[in-house]
Amino acid sequence: MEQDVKKTVPDHDETIIEVRDLRINIKVDEGTLTAVRGVNFEIKKGETLGLVGESGCGKSLTSKAILGINDKKCKASGEIIFDADGLGRVNLLELDPRGKEIRSVRGKQISMIFQEPMVAFSPMYTIGDQINEATRLHITKDKKKSKEISLDVMKKVGIANAEKRYNQYPHEFSGGMLQRALIAMALVCNPKLLIADEPTTALDVTIQAQILEIMKELQKDFGMSILFITHDLGVVAGMCDRVAVMYLGKVVETGTAADIYANPQHPYTQGLLGSVHKIGTKNQDKLFSIEGTVPVAMNLPAGCGFYERCGKRIEGVCNVSEPELVDTGCGHKIACFACTGCPNAKKEGKANE
Amino acid sequence: MLKYIGKRLLLLIPTILIISFVIFFVIQLPPGDYVTSYVASLSAQGEVFTEADIAYLREQYGLNDPWYVQYFNWMKGIITKGDFGYSFNYGRSVWSVIMDRLFLTMGVSFVILIFQYAVSLPIGIYCANHQYSAGDYIWSFIGFLGTATPNFLLAILVMFWVYKATGQVYLGLFSKEMLQNGMSWQYVPEFLGRCLIPLFVIGTSGTCGIIRTVRAQMLDEQTRQYTLTARAKGCSEATITYKYCLRSALNPVVSGLAGSLNTIFSGSTVSAIVMNLQIQGPVLLAALKSQDMYLAGTIVMTQAVLVVIGMLLSDIALAWLDPRIRFSERG
Repeated sequence: MEQDVKKTVPDHDETIIEVRDLRINIKVDEGTLTAVRGVNFEIKKGETLGLVGESGCGKSLTSKAILGINDKKCKASGEIIFDADGLGRVNLLELDPRGKEIRSVRGKQISMIFQEPMVAFSPMYTIGDQINEATRLHITKDKKKSKEISLDVMKKVGIANAEKRYNQYPHEFSGGMLQRALIAMALVCNPKLLIADEPTTALDVTIQAQILEIMKELQKDFGMSILFITHDLGVVAGMCDRVAVMYLGKVVETGTAADIYANPQHPYTQGLLGSVHKIGTKNQDKLFSIEGTVPVAMNLPAGCGFYERCGKRIEGVCNVSEPELVDTGCGHKIACFACTGCPNAKKEGKANE
Repeated sequence: MLKYIGKRLLLLIPTILIISFVIFFVIQLPPGDYVTSYVASLSAQGEVFTEADIAYLREQYGLNDPWYVQYFNWMKGIITKGDFGYSFNYGRSVWSVIMDRLFLTMGVSFVILIFQYAVSLPIGIYCANHQYSAGDYIWSFIGFLGTATPNFLLAILVMFWVYKATGQVYLGLFSKEMLQNGMSWQYVPEFLGRCLIPLFVIGTSGTCGIIRTVRAQMLDEQTRQYTLTARAKGCSEATITYKYCLRSALNPVVSGLAGSLNTIFSGSTVSAIVMNLQIQGPVLLAALKSQDMYLAGTIVMTQAVLVVIGMLLSDIALAWLDPRIRFSERG
């Protein structure tokens, strides 16, 4: 099919998935926690979007909401529009999370790889069995054919000796190999969108580089889009076309990766980039760190979520209403009054609602 | 795998020998012996014994030897002749006394075991899949109640209710007619009916325990990353429950198999007495009370052997269930 879509020049017209005003509430003993507070983004065909933010900012919840595999305690609202084969353009949030429709999307059209490959496979079954399960669910029931397909994709992700590895159990694999196997399992049905939830966080650095290289190559081969979730800005620079920076359940800045790196606007993004260690800098100073901690997303005060920790905060503005994403040109959007100017009266009223 | 089973079987021999030694030592610990209790009970009825009579009895039963010599002779008989000794109470060989009830005991134990798992597994799975639903609460309540209620109390209550409802007294597994005329096919329905109460009573506490274990294990498994992976792959909820969660959740349940075998066998003594069941437990109690030491020793040893074999079986089942165990055995 679209085998030769180039990663660097995404097909601008075709949007694979559109997330509109996604909100996720989690019921906890103390009340309701709003972990995701109106996230918007879209991913185009063949494009990689990096979703960046620190732990607990809602990036994993957002990605799992796409597949509808969040815990029962999480209630998602908003829209996730996906152009699914056989279903047309659907709002994934409206599908029954246990129903047939969403299951025909999961693993086949949208698949996911996880942070910790060591626990992502059941220790009870062979790797081959678990990869083949996806093949049999979505491609063919024919045992011989599905095994061939599974072996083929195992070879593609660089698992040497695939025939032998097929019959081995997860505890006989190393972490890096397991991540390859997990990628194989995710790609076996040639999905339109791959969600990679911190796929390299649990791996050591040399293996990280290998895995990322494999992902990039396979993206070229399969022509899929990737939603790449990470808190590692170094990885983002090498992997992503566009970046969305999340803070406290909201996207605070989004744009092309080049833009964000060259010209970060939001104080949070600046802080994040400032806290990355750069080899070769003569700077003897301590690594920059953002002061304070992320507030708990419950009964949040009015105003910008970053207000307490922000170096550029404007009293009487930032703590009164919450900034919306504003396009500063070329698709670089920022949600910050200090960067985009003070809100007009109309906007203030809206944000206060 | 075969090599492993062979190795385990060989290990059984020293284990059982040591167990038999400890059993015998403990059983002869109380002061006095069978003759003491025999003389005491007959004296109470007015019989008069002279010192010479008592010495003669002791001599006849071989009770004058020190306990380790008695143990040695007992073991020699078992190993060389398959002779488990003589039951003073019954006046015949221990083996024949045990054989009277062995099959019934094992049959009852086995049926109860099946009953426990057949009932508790589905309920445990249901409770986990519907956590905090009304059904879960009801079963949890019954589960705690069943675990906490002593079996003999439940036995009395159930028999009372059955009597109130039907006007029939169901005591024991056999009716008078059965014992008089011998077993024949016409009695089978009644026999099965009589099995229901013991099955329910003895099975309850184990069943409730397993329900709790299965529920907790299943809930634990449902939060595992691989369950999420399976769901993200597009697996149906049934596949997730049975293929991924249940198989891992069974691990501790299977480990508990050996223990529950023993609980049914020996733990049901009091209930068996209350319900007048013709199984091993009450015989053991009587033997211990009258210091009928070879009979008591043999019954306790049979139990020990059952437990050891149960453990072996559960280990084999575990190895079959869990590849990690299978592989560590190989290495």
